[in-house]
Amino acid sequence: MSLHTMPLSMAAPGETVQVVEVVAGRGLNRRLIDMGLVPGTEVKVINSQGAGAVIVEVKGTRLALGHGMAHKIRVSKNEQKHHHCAGRQS
Amino acid sequence: MNRNIIIALAGNPNSGKTTVFNNLTGAHQHVGNWPGVTVEKKEGVTEYGGYRLQVVDLPGVYSLTAYSQDEIITRDYLMNAGPGTVVVDIVDASNLERNLYLTIQVLEMGVPVIVALNMMDQAESKGHIIDTAALSKLLGAPIVAMSAHRNRGTRELLEAIVKMANGASHMSPLKIRYGREVEEEIAGLEPLISTTELGRAYSPRWLALKLLEEDEEIARRFEG
Repeated sequence: MSLHTMPLSMAAPGETVQVVEVVAGRGLNRRLIDMGLVPGTEVKVINSQGAGAVIVEVKGTRLALGHGMAHKIRVSKNEQKHHHCAGRQS
Repeated sequence: MNRNIIIALAGNPNSGKTTVFNNLTGAHQHVGNWPGVTVEKKEGVTEYGGYRLQVVDLPGVYSLTAYSQDEIITRDYLMNAGPGTVVVDIVDASNLERNLYLTIQVLEMGVPVIVALNMMDQAESKGHIIDTAALSKLLGAPIVAMSAHRNRGTRELLEAIVKMANGASHMSPLKIRYGREVEEEIAGLEPLISTTELGRAYSPRWLALKLLEEDEEIARRFEG
């Protein structure tokens, strides 16, 4: 599915990336869905330094994620549009 | 005849909930931006159309998953809201996608909800045009357009609240279809749930959904 994915924790400030999948347990997974971090969502990295918190902008709201949390979110860079089927069901 | 209505204000953080609260009650309070600024239960009283309106400002939350303390407080309050309570869900109209997530969750609980589309001026300046009549029909709830920080829409909101309390604006409860597999599970659970004490107090469909989500809080209530 994903050729070039990386953890959100590795994305640089100013970068806009797309959520590919969340590799976490049920609780955190659910929590991140609640916060809008579903596959296909665009995420702008506002601040990310070393092992500290990662501040991102998602659907018009800024969120502070722990470094470990951000590590569990796999993202892809936004150059080409990927076709995501996950996350959107109607 | 001074009848009582309880108004519960729910909404995302930074949706202007506290501004609406202040507009309704006339209270002059500092509106801060610290997360969890309204963890305490804030209450105010106002009068409108021969009614005594008791306004409760609930903590701002993104969902009702019972994950954080704020969410538990808000959800418990909404679950235990008796007749005579009208829930006003404050929505940031300039950020609908995120805000309607909570709206859906509140509507699914089956409580009487008025959707207050706040920050309409900001939505308009972003170039968003919202068909409120169509949205109201989709959600099955009355909608009031507001710009609370300019004190616009407060009277219309009060009007809608009184109308709902009178039972004059009853709308069909929102029912989202979750596909065959989930619906089969719900169909199996619902009759069992409706015979329980919990199932008589709350919407059995909503309880079934929560159990399928493995919601610990609801599971505990069934055990206890």
